[in-house]
Amino acid sequence: MNNKIKKQKKRQKIIETGIVIGLVIIFAVILPIVLPGFRLRLLGRILSLSIVALGIDLIWGYTGLLSLGHGIFFALGGYALAMHLKLQIPEGQLPEFFTLYGVKELPGFWHPFYSFPITIVALIVIPGIVAGLLGYLVFRNRIKGVYFSIITQAALLVFFNFFNGQQKLINGTNGLKTDTETIFGMLAGSDSVQKIFYIITVIILVAVYYFCRWLTSGRFGRLLVAIRDDETRVRFSGYNPTGYKVLVFGISGAIAGIAGALYTVQTGIITPKFMEVPFSIEMVIWVAVGGRATLIGAIIGTLLVRLAQTFLSESLPEVWLFFQGALFLIVVTVLPDGIVGWWRTWAWEKLSYMLGLKERIVTYPSLEENPETKQEREQLSDR
Amino acid sequence: MKKILEIENLTVSFDGFKALNNLNFSMNPGELRVIIGPNGAGKTTFLDVITGKVQPTKGRVLFKGKNLKKIPEYKIARMGIGRKFQTPRVYLNLTVRENLDLVCNHNKNVFSTLFKPPKSVESRTVGGLLETIGLEAKANAPAELLSHGEKQRLEIGMLVAQSPDLLLVDEPAAGLTDEETENVGALLLSLAESHSIIAIEHDMEFVRQIANNKVTVLHQGSVLCEGTMDEIQNDPKVIEVYLGKAPSITPEQMNILRIAVSMAWADGNFTPEQMNVILSRLSREFAIDTEHQYSLQQELQNYLAKNIPLEELVPKLKNFGEKERVLKLSYEIIRSNKMNRQEIEVYQKLLKLLDLPDDIVEQVETEIEAKYK
Repeated sequence: MNNKIKKQKKRQKIIETGIVIGLVIIFAVILPIVLPGFRLRLLGRILSLSIVALGIDLIWGYTGLLSLGHGIFFALGGYALAMHLKLQIPEGQLPEFFTLYGVKELPGFWHPFYSFPITIVALIVIPGIVAGLLGYLVFRNRIKGVYFSIITQAALLVFFNFFNGQQKLINGTNGLKTDTETIFGMLAGSDSVQKIFYIITVIILVAVYYFCRWLTSGRFGRLLVAIRDDETRVRFSGYNPTGYKVLVFGISGAIAGIAGALYTVQTGIITPKFMEVPFSIEMVIWVAVGGRATLIGAIIGTLLVRLAQTFLSESLPEVWLFFQGALFLIVVTVLPDGIVGWWRTWAWEKLSYMLGLKERIVTYPSLEENPETKQEREQLSDR
Repeated sequence: MKKILEIENLTVSFDGFKALNNLNFSMNPGELRVIIGPNGAGKTTFLDVITGKVQPTKGRVLFKGKNLKKIPEYKIARMGIGRKFQTPRVYLNLTVRENLDLVCNHNKNVFSTLFKPPKSVESRTVGGLLETIGLEAKANAPAELLSHGEKQRLEIGMLVAQSPDLLLVDEPAAGLTDEETENVGALLLSLAESHSIIAIEHDMEFVRQIANNKVTVLHQGSVLCEGTMDEIQNDPKVIEVYLGKAPSITPEQMNILRIAVSMAWADGNFTPEQMNVILSRLSREFAIDTEHQYSLQQELQNYLAKNIPLEELVPKLKNFGEKERVLKLSYEIIRSNKMNRQEIEVYQKLLKLLDLPDDIVEQVETEIEAKYK
């Protein structure tokens, strides 16, 4: 019996890997050839948003902590990469916006961003550490539920106001424009560079997806679910949930930082607007639509909502907001487990009956599928 | 012998309300201690303090000689105290096996949980536990599909997986059928062989099943009394606490009643005639007027269920008059239905214990015989 399960699992894994490779080929090879430049750029932005959705799924879907402040980490990653691009200028010169405010010398915290490797590390580590620190302060005091959500949103507002007001440090409300800057000597806004950004986004999305799968598949992932279901029980079993929550929140923040950097270079600008409240809430909606604690649902949800937004706002600009509201209502009332959850628990079952993959049970399913009954039946047939 | 748990002058107050009040308690390793007490006696707070969920306002808790003050819950759990909650608390979205596996984990640090694969020893422990709690067939089913009794068993299994020295079990029989209750009782008794256990319970039937040692009664946040099950059940203080009022008869009268009850139970069969004799005779004897007689009859019924050895009861009789009364009543009780051998044996024992002159015994017997003829 165990062998049968193992074989089945192996087969499933092969099928899954096949599907992922197929999707990667479609997205990374075929679509760049087929789609016009601006469409591809749009798709790249949506894919980078689905990376941050993966991070939210980790902290909300698995660990049960609803963060409404992921805009902070998203923007921090974006700013890190944008600062590096802004510094692609001859030695001794300042990015042009500094002269507007009469700044003569580059602020100290800009210096490390001359180096590309440090920038890459920074755009992952800084959001991760900020998230971990915020998480530590909150979780150590056993703040959870709504209070956690409120605190993350308050933190978001603090960061938003701070970035908005600091013209002399990071150009305040105007943000940093990246399209006109160069990276490795090439114009960041050009089609060829954008295509590379797009392909990198696809690769990173797959990498982050598998990283999250690894995190959530073992004991660690099960412990996250356990914390979500009954934190007190976890404590009385000898685990300290604080450490786990801080680590996951930190990882989630780091993932948001990566997403933010990719989104920034494909948008062409980063401004404090990335830290507005509605944007962070929208991230949560993507995960809810796709299905919590499913990972793949986070990606699907982001793609669906964002694509719908693009097409609707192109053809019927005034309808989009109503549509978004309606979508959220529908998900909350009709599909509480999101699209993927609905597919797994309901649609797939029906479909396998229709395709004849699974026998239709005529008696009571609870009786027919009871493991004890099954085991008995197997033992009888063995004899 | 070193105590596994010692509690000294423990007081816990919430906004001035003392949930525990100057409580003293100690327990030897290997003991199975049952704690009973009416609602609001502080039983759950008692467990909360031991597990670190609530900090003591005054006094201290020593586990294996170590003060538990200010130690967080997870560290206390790692020191070897496992707790089962009143309602089964298992991880509903994980399978039975995963539930056990999580608790079985030897190193519960963040990074070793993340990077180290489960050891084969641990998976063997899980396999053995699945067998002990009888959930092998459902090992891969999510815990939310289990019945209430199965969840109770799973949670006890999770406790054992933690391999604690001291198990705290809060009302394990709550909401179970009789058969499941017995299963859980048997499981606890077998666990008691290798663990120290504190069990909180309401269900007296269940307490009788598992209490093979001492029982502690909590009332209004402190220990009311401690002793064997039989001692507890006869303690007028306990009866008062549980029935809400003190027995209206004197301890001497209670003693007579107890002997009468023992006589009635002699053949293991308490017949309605015997009950009738006891209730009518005693209520007539103890009561002041007819109205009181009726209410007394109702009250006395509460005390009929307990069978205590005569050797304990008879020496408490104070004077000749009481002894004679006992003799009269006892003979009438066994005479009220057909006498049998066991009853005669017990009666002989009673006579020996009473140590009354032969002529008086004879006089009493003929008196009663005459009534029945």
